[in-house]
Order: sequence, then C-alpha cells, then structure tokens
Amino acid sequence: MNYRLKWLYNVSTVGDLYADAQGHFARNGLKVNVKPGGPERDALKELELGHAQFGVASADQVLRAAAKGAPIVVLAQLFQVNPLHWIYRPDRTAFSAGEDLKGKRIGVTFGGNDEAILRALLARYGIAETEVTLFSVRYDYTPFYEGRVDFWPLYLNAQAVIIGEKLEKAGEAYAFVSPDQLGVRFVANSVVTTREMVAQRPDTVKRFLKALLEGWRDALDPRHQEKAIRVLLEADRETPAAIVVKQLSVTRELMLTRAGAEFGQIDPAAWKQTEEVMRAQNLMPAPVDVQSLLVTFQQ
Amino acid sequence: MLHRRIYQFLIIYGLGLGLLLVLKYSLNLSDYVIPGPDEIGRTGRTYAGPYFLAVLNTLGVAILGHILSICLATIVAVIGRLTAWIGSFIRTAAFNIQAYPIVAVAPIIFILLGDGLPSRLLIAAMICYFPLLLSFIGVFSEPVREIEHFYESTGRLTWRLQIKIRAFENIQKLTTVIVGSATMAMVGTIVAEFIAATAGIGYSIRIALYQSDLAKILVALFLIGVGTSLYLVSLEWIGNALQSRLKRA
Repeated sequence: MNYRLKWLYNVSTVGDLYADAQGHFARNGLKVNVKPGGPERDALKELELGHAQFGVASADQVLRAAAKGAPIVVLAQLFQVNPLHWIYRPDRTAFSAGEDLKGKRIGVTFGGNDEAILRALLARYGIAETEVTLFSVRYDYTPFYEGRVDFWPLYLNAQAVIIGEKLEKAGEAYAFVSPDQLGVRFVANSVVTTREMVAQRPDTVKRFLKALLEGWRDALDPRHQEKAIRVLLEADRETPAAIVVKQLSVTRELMLTRAGAEFGQIDPAAWKQTEEVMRAQNLMPAPVDVQSLLVTFQQ
Repeated sequence: MLHRRIYQFLIIYGLGLGLLLVLKYSLNLSDYVIPGPDEIGRTGRTYAGPYFLAVLNTLGVAILGHILSICLATIVAVIGRLTAWIGSFIRTAAFNIQAYPIVAVAPIIFILLGDGLPSRLLIAAMICYFPLLLSFIGVFSEPVREIEHFYESTGRLTWRLQIKIRAFENIQKLTTVIVGSATMAMVGTIVAEFIAATAGIGYSIRIALYQSDLAKILVALFLIGVGTSLYLVSLEWIGNALQSRLKRA
C-alpha cells in the first residue's frame, strides 16, 4: 500500500517514518510505502486515482475536495494546534492582542492556508483589509530580516526553529502570533483515506491506523527521542541534528497539547470552525457536512 | 495566418480538454481531481477578465525579455564569431551559463533583484536566448564567401558589412528561430512568475495550484495559448514584411 505524505520528509512526518522504520506496519501485517509529498503532489488526488490508499492532507485541502465531491474521510488529526504562526520582533512591533494587527505589514502566501487564517483573524478582530498591508511572501526571508514586514508566516515546528536561531545569533528578540490562541482554530494535517477503503477494507484501515498511531506515539515519546531523530535524519539528510532535536520538541507540543491526551484525536469543533472560515471567504464551492467526513475507529 | 494559428490552438486545447473529460467520466472522478464542464464554464466566466489582464502582463514582460535576449544573442554571436581568445571565451561563458537550470539560478536572481519586473525579465531572457544564440553564432560565424570575397578583395569589408551580409543571406533562418524562441520567452516569464513574482498569469497559476483548482488552471492555459498564438502571428507577420522589404531592396 502507498501512504502519500503532504510534504517532503521533515519533522512533521517523523511518526510516519518511525512507524515504517520500527516495524509497526509490518507487525500489523501491512507493507506500506511511505512516500514523501511536495508542492506538486496532492494525496487526495492520488487516493481518488488509486495511486495511494492513505495520505496526509491539510484541512483546507480536505474540505475543498469534499465540497467538490471527492469520496474521502478523515481518520486522524495529527496537529492539535496548527503549526502555522507569524513571527515578529517584539522590540519593534508592539503586539499583545488581535486588534494590534491593525496598521501593520503582514506577510501572507496568497492562495495558501495562511491567507485564509489571516483573513479569519482580521474578520474576528474587525480589521478591514485596507487597515493592514498584506505582503506577498515566498521562500526569501530578507524582507522580514530587513524589517520591511512586521509579521512573517512560518511553521512553528520547522522554519521557526531555524529563523529563531539566526535571530538569536544576531542578538534580536522574537515572538510568535498563534492564531489558535487568538481564537482561530484552523485544522492542519490529518490522515485521510477513501470512503471505499473504509467500507470495503475496514480491517486494513484499522490496522493501518493502529500501526501509524503507535508509531507516532513512540516517535513523540521523549524516551524514544534518540531513535526518532535517527530515523528522521536517515530520510532528511539536509537538516542538522541539533535543529531536528529542537523541531521535535516543538512538534511534540503541537501534537500533544494536554498531558495524557490521546494522539491523533479529531477535534470536530475545530473542523467546524475551519469549514466556517473557508465558507466565509468563498474558498469552497458548497458547504460540507463536516461530521460525515470524520471517522472514528476504536483503537 | 492568425486564423490558422488560433484554429490550430483551439483544436489542440479542445482535444486536451476532451481527453481530461473522458478520463473524468470513465474513471468516475470527482470535480476535485478533474472539474466538469459546468465548473470550467463558471470559472471561465468569473476569471476570464482578471486572467486576461494577467496574460497581457505576462505577454508584455515576455516580449521585453524576448527583445532583450535577441539583443544579447546578437552581441554574443557578433563577438563570438571572432576567432581570437575573447570570441572563444564569450562562447564558452554563454554555453556554461545556459547549462545551469533556471530553477537553481532563479532564487539568486530574486534575492539580488527582488521579485519585481527585472527578475521576470531576466529569467524570460535567459530561458529563450540559448536557441537564439546557437542560431546566431551559426549564422554570424559562417562566411558568405561568394559575396564577402568581392568586398575583401577590394578592401572594403568592415565587420559591420560582414554582419549585414550574413544576416541578410540568412534572414529566413533568423526569423524562424526568433519566432520559435518567442514561445520560450512566454514559458520563461511564466516560470519566473510561478517561482517568485507577484503578478502575471504564472503567479495566478501558482495560487490556483495552492487551491488545487484545476478549472482555474485550464482557463489560464486557454488564455496563455491565445496570447502566445497572437504574439507568434505578429512575429511571423513582421518577419514576412521584413523579408519582402529586403527582397524588394
């Protein structure tokens, strides 16, 4: 079976890689190819075309696809808090509440889910688009380093660690805006499959989910940290080990938000809010019955 | 000529679209994977206006980039035709620069020049100048002996005259390669916009890809095809007019 990830191998896929490398899939009688994602790869399309049986997709992708009739369901929610945050320099940019975004220059990837999240934040705090300056961002952080942009979007468990380290070396203070803490709970990556898989091969789906969640729990367990990092570094040779250690720690906080919380729990309220945000911004052609998308298996 | 180009494009586009729809209905795929005719039509009505303006924006940059690359290729070919060390150096440098994939060079260009017009222009020029350069070097390095001999023997052959003779004798070849490279100029501009610009149809396609919206991409492709066809026809017309004028002269 093929399991298509959302992005390239990085810390956000550590549990997927761990489940494979440590034999969780094999112990559950499954042979799974964990395939990296990327900008031109869409797990949802691969599921429908039969090129993959399981995949990882962000909630906005899932909702768009469902609104267009894609026969998909959500099996588990990887991040309990969306890793997308905005970095800023507190000594240059005063920020203590959502209203403080007014009058600021804010980086945004037009068309990306950060645009949807930002627009939801602006709407929530009654800020018109004319009251902020939206700056189109790409991979080059120079405009933020140079202070031309006040807030820059990044993933807290990935780029934030690297950028934060650079700013620390330069002796600059930095902080993050968390949309979740400002009341916009926009779901990030989730594990998905097709309705057909659930209906026709429920046992396979159960075993896959069991193996995957076991893998993730172990990978996030501090007792297995060394092993998890080794597994990740074998797949992602570009990121230095010291960075990966920090990234893993942040990932743990975003995925296991409460002590004793079950990994992979689906948060229906957050999904509902995500759907409302997307509908309010006309990002979906039709409303979606969120509840019918979320499938819960007893583990 | 215009009629033929557009007609041919519409046939190719129609065939491609038809194939997608056959796939969609035969494999029972949702509108998320391949949009249906309704959605394509609806998207077309909504986005034809802004996308048309974006294509014009891209086309404008592509034309400028194309002109830039023609100038660049002419200069390099004129210098490169020299047998001296400098000619050899210029030829080698030009070939080496082209050997780097543009996606690897583009981030450096964007960091140095920002994500505005200069970067788009430079990348468009870089992508389409190599075929121009190859032909131009070929044309300007190949002596037209029967004509040049006469001027050489009378001591009136200057380098300017030599270039003029060689260009005139190969005008059809030069026109063909200039028309051919126009498509690459358009592709180069779209690639540049896709990578880092904040305007043009390449940027619109990038946003559509973020949203997994194939209907928008199909509308964009249609308009790009029409825009490119119009540009190619204009170039062919200019080339024909130039050739006729030179023949009359």
